[in-house]
Amino acid sequence: MRFTLIKDLKQDKSMRPILSGLLLFTLIYLLSDVYVTKLTLGLLSEQVQTTLFGDVDEFLDPISRASFLEYIHMQIFFMMMLVLTLSAIYIRMTNKKAYSLIVVNLLMLSVLVTLITLGLSYFVDAIFIDLYLFSFFTWHIVALYMSLSSLWSLNFATSI
Amino acid sequence: MQQAYKYTVLYFLLFSLLLLLSGILLFGEKIGFSQEAILLYYLGDEERFLIAKSMSGILKVVLPHIFAFGLFGMVVLHFVVFTQSNRSKYMKFFIYAFFTLSLLEIFTPLLIINGFETFAYFKLISFFLFEFLVLLLLWILFRSIVHE
Repeated sequence: MRFTLIKDLKQDKSMRPILSGLLLFTLIYLLSDVYVTKLTLGLLSEQVQTTLFGDVDEFLDPISRASFLEYIHMQIFFMMMLVLTLSAIYIRMTNKKAYSLIVVNLLMLSVLVTLITLGLSYFVDAIFIDLYLFSFFTWHIVALYMSLSSLWSLNFATSI
Repeated sequence: MQQAYKYTVLYFLLFSLLLLLSGILLFGEKIGFSQEAILLYYLGDEERFLIAKSMSGILKVVLPHIFAFGLFGMVVLHFVVFTQSNRSKYMKFFIYAFFTLSLLEIFTPLLIINGFETFAYFKLISFFLFEFLVLLLLWILFRSIVHE
């Protein structure tokens, strides 16, 4: 995280393209993640319910406990590393602006709620699926905003 | 530390707890918390129609974990370095313990399927010690953020 210590990132000829590349890849990851989730878990309440609990009428088996735990374990790791990196960049780019704290908190909370409600949907009650989907879209939108905003600051702002 | 970075690290601690919890649940669900369960999982049992794990099957699990343990260790330990505990004599111990336990946790299955059944104990002990060590490191970080 050396970039947090550099005074003016625009003057740094190496860090600017490096961070721009990272942010571009983050953007691609976020968009791909929505598509992959659509294919694997589903993006509508009924689809998620069918994936988690199966459908007797359509002869669809529910996801096994071990497979679900593997899925969520992997998701936690990827999401925590992604939001940690993105937040560090965003905080540095917005340079102590008051609203940056609100945006970072919103991202972190929505990711936490996404992970917790997914677990609760499977282990406790399917009623949490709607909250899971809401928080899933919230964190993706906030993360997209943070990536775009950081990219803008990095390449077009007068001083960062 | 800037306020926003403090929040980020605090959330990171919460994610780490979720990661530990899901890891424990997964270990219990797939393998089990006893030496017999570990041997049964890796070596299989014809009577119970359990297939023994192959080298390539284990490597598929091991490979992403090598990178994940390394990255997770680097992030957690480098945060701890910025706390008061950095000056304590335990810091070096934490670093070596983290990577040694990680290595044991990741690679003992390869030894188990190659005839070293005693390593089932090492797998179990290293798993619990690793979880305990990470909890301790997270607690040190949490205390440092709250008290600073």
